[in-house]
Amino acid sequence: MSSTTSNLKDAQIRAEIDRSLRHPVMFFMTSGAAWLAVSIVLAIISSAKVHSPGFLDGCPFLTYGRVFPAHMNALIYGWGFQAAFAAIIWLMARLSRQVCRSVGTILTAGHVWNFGVLLGMIGILSGHSTGVSWMEFPVFAWPVLLISYFIIVIWSFIQFRVRNADYVYISQWYLIAAMVWFPWVYLTANILIFVMTGHPVMDYAVDAWFKSALMFLFFVPVALGTAYYLAPKVTGKPIFSYSLAKLGFWSLAIIAPWAGLQKAVGTPIPYFLPYIGAAATTLLFLPALFNSVNLLQTTKQAKEIVSSSPTLRFTLAGIVGLLILGFSAILLNMPSSTLPLTQFSLSGYGFEILAIYGFFSFIMFGAIYFIVPRITRREWLSRRLISMHFFFSVYGIVFVALIAIFGGLQQGAGQEDWMHDWSSAALRARPYAVAITVAWSAILISNVFFFLHLTLMWLRLGRRSSHPTLLVSHESSSPHGAEGDIDNAGPASLPAHH
Amino acid sequence: MSLKTFIFGLSASFGVAWLAVVVVPYFKMRDLQPIPMSAEPDSGIFFPKRTGRIADGALVYSENGCYLCHTQVIRPTYAGNDLYRPDWGGLAADPDRGDTRRETNAFDFFGESYAHIGLNRLGPDLSNVGRRVEEIYAKDGDPKAWLYNHLYNPRMLPERRESGCPSFRFLFDKQKINGNRNAEALPIAGDDSTELVPSSDAKALVSYLLSMKKDQPVATSLNFAPAKKDSDS
Repeated sequence: MSSTTSNLKDAQIRAEIDRSLRHPVMFFMTSGAAWLAVSIVLAIISSAKVHSPGFLDGCPFLTYGRVFPAHMNALIYGWGFQAAFAAIIWLMARLSRQVCRSVGTILTAGHVWNFGVLLGMIGILSGHSTGVSWMEFPVFAWPVLLISYFIIVIWSFIQFRVRNADYVYISQWYLIAAMVWFPWVYLTANILIFVMTGHPVMDYAVDAWFKSALMFLFFVPVALGTAYYLAPKVTGKPIFSYSLAKLGFWSLAIIAPWAGLQKAVGTPIPYFLPYIGAAATTLLFLPALFNSVNLLQTTKQAKEIVSSSPTLRFTLAGIVGLLILGFSAILLNMPSSTLPLTQFSLSGYGFEILAIYGFFSFIMFGAIYFIVPRITRREWLSRRLISMHFFFSVYGIVFVALIAIFGGLQQGAGQEDWMHDWSSAALRARPYAVAITVAWSAILISNVFFFLHLTLMWLRLGRRSSHPTLLVSHESSSPHGAEGDIDNAGPASLPAHH
Repeated sequence: MSLKTFIFGLSASFGVAWLAVVVVPYFKMRDLQPIPMSAEPDSGIFFPKRTGRIADGALVYSENGCYLCHTQVIRPTYAGNDLYRPDWGGLAADPDRGDTRRETNAFDFFGESYAHIGLNRLGPDLSNVGRRVEEIYAKDGDPKAWLYNHLYNPRMLPERRESGCPSFRFLFDKQKINGNRNAEALPIAGDDSTELVPSSDAKALVSYLLSMKKDQPVATSLNFAPAKKDSDS
C-alpha cells in the first residue's frame, strides 16, 4: 500500500470519527458554553453584592448565599464537566482510531446530565442547597450526575481497550486517569458526607479534600491531556521531552491526592492532616512546572504559528495559567506565614478560578477552536470574534484571579490584625470585589461572543472553506481569493483536516 | 506499560493517600470517644451543652449560604490570631468567669450533621455569636429581637451602616394585625393594620445563632490556655 493510499485511508477514518461525534461533541460544547455564560452572570451578581450589599436586595433567590454557590456549581458542573466530556470523547476516539458507535446513548446521558444540573441549580436558588461547598446541589442530584457520567465516558474507555495500536499517547494517560479518579473522588465525598453519619468537622475536611481533588485530579489532567494533544498537533512538532511528560504525570498522580486539607487547619481534626495538605499543595508546583515547561518548549519550536492559530494561542495562555497556578500553590499555602491569611479570604476563590478558568477553560477553548471545524466541516466565521474572546478572557481572568489572590492576602492581613476593630478587616475586601465585578463583566462580554459563534457553527453556518480561520490575514496570498477554496468537493478535501 | 499496570499505578498512588487522609481519619473521628472533664474519678464527661433549634437552624444557615461569609472556628494560635480578638473565642472580660476565650474543639458541633467551618470571613466569626448578642449587642434588651432586626436590615443601626451582610427580609412575613400585636413583630415597618413577623425559618435561624456560645469551660485535656498567674485554685 502506498503512503498516499494509507494517508487517504487515515483521513477517511478521521472523517468518519468526526462525523460520528458531531452531535454529542457539539452538544456538550454548546450547552457548556451556555452554562458558562449563566455562571458568569451569577458571578457578576454575587461579586457586586460583596461591595454593594443593597444590590438586588431582599429577593430570596438572588441572595448572595444562593447566587454564589449557583455561580460555582454552574461553572463546575455546567461548563467544566461538559467541556471535559467533549474533549474526552473526541480525543479518545481520535487517539484510539475508533468511530463512536453509541452516539444516541451519549446524547441521552448528556441531556440527563444537563437536566440534573438544571434541577440542582433551581434547587440552590430556591433555597435547598446542602451547604457543602461545590456540592451544593440538593442530594438527589449526585447519583443522577454520577450515572450519566459513567454512561458518557464508558465508551471512551472501551474505545481505548479495543484500539489497534499498542502504544499509549501521553494524552491518553491523562484522560484515562481523570476518568478513573473522578468517580472515585465524587463517590467518596458524597457517601462520606451525605450518606454516612460522620463527625461534622471531618465532613468539612472531606469537602476541602474533594474540592482540591476535583481541581487537580479531574480538571487539571483533562486539560493537560488535551494540551498534550493540541500543542504538538498544531505546531507539527513532537513533544519536547517524553520523560518530562512522564515525570509530570506521575508527580501529579502521587502528590495531588494528598492535597486540600490545609483548608481545615486549626479545626479540630488530627493535626497532621492540614500539614500534609499544605505540603502536597505546595509540591503541586512540581507537576505544574514539569508540564508547563514541556508544553512551552513544544510550542517554542514553531513560534510563528502561535500568533496565527487561535487554538495554539488559547492553549499557550492556558499553559501560562498552569505555571501561575503552580506558583500560587506555593505562595498561598505556607503554614507559618500565608496560610493563616488565605484560609478564610478571597485568595481561595482566586486560586479556584485560576485553576478552572485560567488553566482548564483556556485549554478547552483551544480544543473547541480546533475540534469544531473538523466535526462540522466548516471554518470559524470571524477572526475578530475569536480575538475578542481571547483578549477579553485573558484580561478578565488576569484581573479576577490575581486581584482575588493578592486582595485575599490583604484581607487576611486585616483579619489577623486583632488590635484593630473587625470592621476594618471586613472592609478591606471591598475594593478588590469592585475590580472582580468589572473583570467578570469583561469575561461575560467575551463569552457571549463565544457562545454565539459556537452556536452558529453547530447550525453549520460556518464558512465553507478549506482555509482555516487564522488570527492573521493571509487571504491576499491565496490563489482562490479572500475566501479560500470553497469546500464543495466533499471528502476530496479531507486531507486539509488533519 | 500495560493497561493493567497503568490502572494499578493510578489506583495505588491515589488509594494510599485516599486511605491515609480521608478514609482512616474519617472513621477514627466518627468513633470519637467522650473524654473526662479532669483526671479526678467522678468529674464526669466533657459535654458542651447547646440548646435551641440546632438542626432546623443549621439547615436555614446552609440553605442561605451563611457559611460563605461567616466562619465557625476559633483557630489555635499556631493557625491564626482568632483567640486574641476580645469577643470571638468567648468574652475577654466575662463578669462572672473572667476571660472565657478558648479555641474550638471537636465536641462543639453537637447536634449538627455538618460543621459550617466556613469559606471566607467577609463577616465576623460566629462561634460565640449567641454570647456576643446577649452580653454585648443586646445587653439590656431582648437578644432575639436584636437578631430579628439585624437579619431584617443589617445596616439599620448607625454603627453597622457599613455591614456587608445581605438583608434577609424574605424570612419575615407580613400579616394583618388581629387584636394585639404579635409579641415578636418587628418594631420597624408595617403600618397600623399590618405587622412583620419572623417566619418559622427566621425563628429557627435565630434560635441556632443564639445557641452558639462555645466558651464553656473545657476538659483539662483540651484546655490549652496558659496557666493564669493569679489563679486561686
